[in-house]
Amino acid sequence: MVLLQLDPFLNELTSMFERSTETGSVWVTLKRSSLKSKVVRNKMATAGEAIEYRCLIRATNGKKTISTSVGPKDHQRFQASYATILKAHMTSLKKRERKDKKKSSEADKREGTSKRPKKS
Amino acid sequence: MVYITSWDEFVERSVQLFRADPDSTRYVMKYRHCDGKLVLKVTDNRECLKYKTDQAQEAKKMEKLNNIFFTLMARGPEVDLSEVTGKEQTDAQPTKRGRGRKQ
Repeated sequence: MVLLQLDPFLNELTSMFERSTETGSVWVTLKRSSLKSKVVRNKMATAGEAIEYRCLIRATNGKKTISTSVGPKDHQRFQASYATILKAHMTSLKKRERKDKKKSSEADKREGTSKRPKKS
Repeated sequence: MVYITSWDEFVERSVQLFRADPDSTRYVMKYRHCDGKLVLKVTDNRECLKYKTDQAQEAKKMEKLNNIFFTLMARGPEVDLSEVTGKEQTDAQPTKRGRGRKQ
C-alpha cells in the first residue's frame, strides 16, 4: 500500500484510469480516519480530545493500490481535482436515452404521416 | 447485496449510515470502462447499500455525493449539509446573501 501526497496521488489515479480502459476496474474507497492507533486515541480522549480526523482515500486497479489522506483544509481542492479526473475518464457510460427515444418516436411519426394524407 | 433503485434514497440512507457510525462507515466506488458500469457501495460492516448505473447523468449525481462524503469525512459528521449549494464554506460565518431589503 503506497501512501502518497495529494498531487502525486491524483497523477497516479489518472494513469490508473487510463490504463484500465480496455479491461479491468478502478476501485476508489473513501473512509474517515484519524490515522492514530486505538491506544493513542484513548490517551488523547482521556487527556482532552483534540483528535484530528482526516479522509482516507484509497484507489486500486486490482493489482496496485495507492492511497492518500485529506484533511479539512485540502479537501475542497482535492474534491475539485478528483471531480475533474472522474469526469474526464467516465466516458463509457451511456448518454441520456431520451434523445434516442425522441428520434425513434419522430421517425415513427414521420412514417405514420407519410401513410396518411397530410392535413394542409 | 442490497441494490437500491432510487438515487435519493441511496443518498439519504448512506448519509444516515455515516452519521450513525462515522468511524466504520466507508464509501466505495467501482468503475469499469470496458463494461461502462459504475457501482457505488456504502457500508458500516453491518449493513450494506449499493447503487449501480451505466448512465452518464448519474455520474454527475455521484460527483455531488462525493462532495458530500468528502465534507462529512474531512470535517466531521456533525457538519450541516447545505446540499443545495453543495459546498458549505459559509459554515463558520453566516454570510448575508445578496437578497436584502430593497429600499
